[in-house]
Parts: sequence; C-alpha cells; structure tokens
Amino acid sequence: MTDKKDPKATSQASVVPAATASTSAAANASKTGPPPQKTLTNKELKELKKKEKAAKRAAAKAAHGGANPDQQHDQHGKSNNNNNKSQKPKTASQLKKQMNSAKIKDTDVKIPAMFSHLETREQRIAASPTVASIVHPSILALTLKISTYKVVGSSTRCQSMLEAFKDVITSYKTPEGTSLQRHLTSHLSHQIEYLKTGRPLSVSMGNAIRWLKQKISQIPIEMSDEDAKVQLKEDIDLFIQEKILYSGKVITQFASGHIQNNSKILTYGHSEVLKKLFKYCAIEENKSFDIYIVDSKPLFEGKKLAKELSSVKNIKCHYNLITSLSSVLERSSIDFCFLGANSMLSNGRLYSRVGTALVAMSSKNKSIPVLVCCESIKFSDKVQLDSVTLNELGDADDMINTKPFNKTGFNLQQYLNNLEAKKVEEQNGAGKKGQQQQQQSKKEKDDKLLQSSQKNEETLSNWKDYPSLNILNVLYDLTPPEYIQKIITEVGALPPSSVPVILREYKSIT
Amino acid sequence: MSSASHVASQKLDILVDTFISKLKRRQITGSYKIATETCQFLMRVISTSRWSTPQEFIQLIRKVGQRIQEAQPREFVTGNVVRRVLAIIRDEVNGTGDSLNNANVNNGAPSAPVDTSMFQLLSTVNTSSSTNLSIKENTRGQNDLRSVVIQGIRELSDEISSVNENIEAMTVDLIHENEVLLTPTPGSGTVLNFLLKASLKRKFTVLVTESYPNDIEECHLFAKKLAEANIETVIIPDSTVFAVMSRVGKVLIGARSVFANGGCVSNAGVAAVCECAKEHRTPVFAVAGLYKFSPTYPFDKDSLIEVGNSGKVMPFEDSDLVGKCEVTNPVFDYVIPEHIDIYITNMYVYFFIFINLLFQFILTEVKHHTNTQNILFS
Repeated sequence: MTDKKDPKATSQASVVPAATASTSAAANASKTGPPPQKTLTNKELKELKKKEKAAKRAAAKAAHGGANPDQQHDQHGKSNNNNNKSQKPKTASQLKKQMNSAKIKDTDVKIPAMFSHLETREQRIAASPTVASIVHPSILALTLKISTYKVVGSSTRCQSMLEAFKDVITSYKTPEGTSLQRHLTSHLSHQIEYLKTGRPLSVSMGNAIRWLKQKISQIPIEMSDEDAKVQLKEDIDLFIQEKILYSGKVITQFASGHIQNNSKILTYGHSEVLKKLFKYCAIEENKSFDIYIVDSKPLFEGKKLAKELSSVKNIKCHYNLITSLSSVLERSSIDFCFLGANSMLSNGRLYSRVGTALVAMSSKNKSIPVLVCCESIKFSDKVQLDSVTLNELGDADDMINTKPFNKTGFNLQQYLNNLEAKKVEEQNGAGKKGQQQQQQSKKEKDDKLLQSSQKNEETLSNWKDYPSLNILNVLYDLTPPEYIQKIITEVGALPPSSVPVILREYKSIT
Repeated sequence: MSSASHVASQKLDILVDTFISKLKRRQITGSYKIATETCQFLMRVISTSRWSTPQEFIQLIRKVGQRIQEAQPREFVTGNVVRRVLAIIRDEVNGTGDSLNNANVNNGAPSAPVDTSMFQLLSTVNTSSSTNLSIKENTRGQNDLRSVVIQGIRELSDEISSVNENIEAMTVDLIHENEVLLTPTPGSGTVLNFLLKASLKRKFTVLVTESYPNDIEECHLFAKKLAEANIETVIIPDSTVFAVMSRVGKVLIGARSVFANGGCVSNAGVAAVCECAKEHRTPVFAVAGLYKFSPTYPFDKDSLIEVGNSGKVMPFEDSDLVGKCEVTNPVFDYVIPEHIDIYITNMYVYFFIFINLLFQFILTEVKHHTNTQNILFS
C-alpha cells in the first residue's frame, strides 16, 4: 500500500493509475464480477469506498486540489446513505463529479494553431473502480476498442454501441423512488459520457441515442420493468436491423446496377456498406470486376477492405496509397468511384474520412462519376462549409511512425508504464533516480510497443521539444457537393442537394 | 600512333563504363549529384579523348551523351548537362571570339546568344576561319579547345552548385508576412534553402506533407530543420491536403525535371496537390535549377514515372494480402503545365508558356544543327 502515497511521482497522469492499479490489485475478487452486483451489498461497497477514499486523498493531494473536499464529501455521503438514497437525482451530479475526478488532463498535447479550437482527448478517464461502479463493463470495453481504432467506422460504432446498450439495459435495475422511464435515460447518459472520452460521437451514434431516449420515454407507465427491458431490447434489435443491416441491403440493390462485368471501381478507405455491395455483386450476382482501393496513413483502413475482398473469387484487388492516386487514375480507366460516408450534412456536403475529398476531386476532374452510399441514419441537419471549423483531432503521436503500427490505448499504456515503474522501483528503492528511470523506461516501452525502427524513432520522437514543430492529425474532411454525382440511401438515390428532404422524411418516420 | 590512340580509347571506355555502371546501379541519385558528377565525368572524358577534327570531338561527346542518357533514362539531367557542354563546344568551334565570353553568354543575358548565332549564320568569315583552325593548327588547336571547353564546364559546374543561392535571392519578393505555405516535396534541398532564406526576412507557416511511403524520413528531417530555424512547421498526412487547402496561401514544389511544354516531374502525390491548389485558386510555384530544364517533350507519360518498392506500400507483415492484391508504388508524378503558375530558376522566373523561349536561349547554338536534337531525345 505504500506506493499509493507516493509523493515523488511527478507526472499527474501516472499518479492516479498507480493508486488505482494498486487498489484494483488489493480489491477483492469481485473485480472480475460485474460491478452492478456490488452495489447490492452495502457493506462491500462501504469498504471499497473507504479504500478509494484513502487512495483518492493521496491522489487528490497531488492532482486535484480544488475538487478534493467535494470528492471526500461525496464518498462519505455515498457510503453513509443506503443504496436507494444514493441513486436519487442528487447523486446524478455526484456521479458526474466522480467521473470528472477520474479524468486526467493531458497537458502535453500540442495542436497547430489553426486547429486549436477543436476538441482533443485531453481528458481521459482512468480505469478506476469509481468509474467502474458507474459504467457498465461492456461500455468500458467498447470505449477501449473505439479509442484504439479497433472498432472504427460510423455504422460499426453505432451498431456496437447499441449492442452495448442492450447489455446495460439487461443489467439495469431501477432504484426505488423513481421509474425506469425517467431514470434509465440519465443512467445511459453516464455511459455515453464515458463513451465520449474514447472518441467524439458520430452523427449516426447521436441519432441512435436520440431515438433510444425517445423510445424509453414512450414506454407505458403500467409496464413492469422486466417487460420494459425486454421491449427495449427488441426495439434496439429492430432498429439495428432496419437502419443498419437492411438499409445496407437495400442500398446494395440500388447500387449494384452500376457495377457491370469487367468494370473498374475506385474506392477509398473502408466502408461497411460498400463492402457488402462489392461482396454481393461478386458472389450473388456473379460479376467479375476490378477494385482499386486507395488508402492512407495513419489508420490504413483500406487494408481491412482489401483483406476481405481479395479472398472473394470474382474480385481483383489493387491496393494503392493516396500519393499514387493520380497515377492510378491516369493509367487505369476507372468507371466509377464509390465512397462511404460518416455523415451527410444538410448543405449537401459529405463528411467522411480525411482524403475522401481528394479522391472525389481527382475523380471528378477525370470525369469519373462519384457515388456515395450512405444510410439515412447518417444524415444530419448540421451545416458546415469547410473541414477546419469542425473536425475531429486524432492523436498527433500516431503520425510519428514511418510504418503502420498497432495503437495501444491510453489506459493500457499507463498500466504498462506502471508495471515498468514498479519493477524499477523495486530494484532501486524509491528515489529521484527512480523517476528518471521511469521516464526512460517509459520511452523504451514506447519504442517497443510502437515497433518502429530505432532510426525512425529518433527523428521525431522528441517532436514536442521543438516549439515550432506541430503535427496535424485530423480524421475527417468535407467534400463539396459539386464533386458528388449521386447519393444512394435506402430510401432512394438522390443528388446531394436533396439531403434536407431526407431529413424531413426521416424525422417523420421516427 | 595507333597504339597510343588505342590506349587512349581504352581509357576512355573504362571511364565511360564506370560512370554508366554507377548510374545504372543508382550509386548516384538525385538531380544535383548527378549533374555535378556528369560535369566531372565530362571533364575527364574531354581530357582523355583523342580526335582530329572538332566535328569528331562533337560526335564523340554526343555518343557518350547518348550512352549515359540511356543508362538512366528517367534522369534527364545527364542529357541536359551534355547538351550544355555541346553548346559550349560548338560555340568554341564556330569561333565566336572569346570562348569565355561565350560561356558567360550561356549563363547571362538572353539576347546575346541570339545575336551571336544570327551573326554566325550571316557571316562567312568566322566559319571559314574555324575550319582553318581545325585543319592547320591541329594539335595546338586541340589543346586550346580542350582547355577552353574544360573551363566552360567548370563554370557550368559552378552554376549548378550555386543554384540554391540564386534562387534564394528571389524569395523575399514572393512571400508575404504571416503567410501559410504548403510544400508537398520535402525531399527537395532547393525548397529547404528557399524557406530557410525566406525565414530570415519573413514570418510564415509551412505545412509539409508526409509523402508516405517514399519520402517520409526526409519529411521528418525537413520538418525538424525548419523547426530548428524557428519556422512554424506543421506535418500533415497526404490525405489532409484538400482539407487545409482553403487556408493555404501558396504551394511550393520542387521539380525533378521540367519539360519543353512546361510540365514537370516531381514526387508522387504532387500532381494531386497541384490539382487541389488549382481548384482553390491557390498559386503554385515550382523551384528548379536551370540544369533541370530539358527540351524533351513528355509524349509518353507512363515512361516518365518510375515505379518503386511495392514492399513499402504493403509490407510483408500483411502476409494475407501480399500475394492477392496488385500493389504499385509510383515514385514520381507528372504535373501538367496548367497547374503550375511559375517556375523559379536560378536565372529567371518563368511562366510555362514562355518555357520555349528559355530553351531557345540555351540551345540556339544547336538549333540549326539539325542532328543534335534527335539523338538525346528519349
């Protein structure tokens, strides 16, 4: 327990996880069990809270000066009240404070001036039991996957999120004194808050959440909790089927007419809908055609698509990076360009993976028709004119590597750093030397984990030391409507100027 | 006598062969290096070669030039240097007075070569005197010619090495304060010098594209050097070009070779960047030393673009993809002349339509010698 009260730890970021790692190690085996069960037994809860309080005190001394007294008060309040009382609306803000207290501000972030207004993932939530008691493990797992780009793509994230919500609803128990209709929404909001720390929500996720909250509020009062939960889960399933899976099928039907035998198709990155389309055309309709996949750093999503499609017998895959785009267009006479979407904006612009605009522009200039396949759930009434005012910033450190790599999440990184630090401390005993070694070993871990050659790591690994040097990593860009010929959705094919029409219809459907 | 000349020709062959194998094996890469090496090589060739008439001399150089151009057909700099040397030789042979003046004239005011060549056409005295020179004063004339030509090549070599300094002199007029520049060719030393020099007088921001996978290491070094000079630098991935283009004031590219129609060959990805700039009405500057300007015409664009290591695009770690996908890694890109607004060279600043004039100035001496233009076209 001594390393909990480690005053010599300099970086804020390492302190809280150090404390939490030890508490989680010291905590009882119920760590493996689902947290909602823990809240049933007050005694265990109280014990845990006491330990956390001690940990928090140590952590809060170094990290959060102002919020500290509030936290302690909250902890105290929670352990004193019984379970039912602690779930009253009063604790909604308490929960929020709890969550906020677990956030770590990453002060080391450097963003180019032009983009400094964009949200960064400054505040990470450490994997602490305080959070674990609020947030469902499925959501924890999902956030980890999303933040490390394991689950990536608008439809995929939306679907996974809804599946995770089904788990949350299953394990949910309405506290006394309130009803499911009223309380479940706020419970879900905490989950969503945690999800947002992985990556900002996409438009499809936002639309789905709005729909779900509406559905929850529409549950009749007389229905029992069990029935309500079952109904909600069924509704979610239906929603996924309708809006994501079947939409994909309908879009495929509409779009497959464009793909003929021996045609050459250009596509960028990875899109679920397009993958289904290509597979359908090759397997069901038995057409054989060529696909040119264009890909880019740092996510290399095109490789995923290439892996799936290269094993399909009628498809010949070509893989290129975006720098060779003009050569590809010059050399091979492409028939169509299919693009996927993150969302369609109300002024007809396509908000999609960064690089899409370049592909669309080059295709248009070579008179290649550009078709976008997009489910109606991705339509948004936002309006945006360029890619700079609203975008998502990724981690700048992803760009340092000169080779593709596997991203390790923030939490994993912290955990591994702490393992290293503990090892080092055991060897040397606590001391200033330990700090430096910790920093060094942290850097070594970085090197190993990032799996890049030593020489390349040298070039930009200390980029933050140069005040004039910045790295930009935005994830999305905006394609103007003049580059897009047709948008294919499950409600029909339309020109980009007709997006508001779909929005009107969509609103009336739900 | 024959054995001596035999030995000499053997020496020559050895020289030529070593240089050609260096080129073929790509032991020399990069336009600048190749240009300077070619100059050295030609100096050595000229000192070891044996010929009886200047016409033979010219033929010899032409043959050598042909061979080295074929050694690396996509490296047009070799051909350009040989053409300049031939121009020097012809000037000397046609005896337009002081050969030093001639060499200067090549580098100096554009009007002078025109006058001298027109003058040559009209005057018969000079031509006859040159032939007299060749027949009567054989050996002495040879040596004179040799030393003069070598002097000319030395000056050409100096010009090539001072390309960067001359280009830098024009920077200040072209960049204003607080500008945002984009450069998609981080491997270009000329661009680097340009920016470093400009930073002394102006404050601006530079966006550098990564040019993954071929130039990414150079990009990182480039960005570091700029940052060390306290220039605001931002590294952006190649895909982000369209997204930021609306905020960019000027695009600065380094060209590898420039052709007669004003088009140029540059790194992969540059063509898309220039197209993007055109869409946004952003001016594009290309910097290139005069030795990169080639009078060849890019009829066959495919042959211009070299294809590199596909393993960089799809490494063997993606083993399940490697056999099944077709992967290409073009190293170069051809940029059409309409996408480039201005060429900045160590001599002048050119608009592509007027590139033809430029070639006239360099090549007037050879213009009316019909054969020369054919041999060195790829």
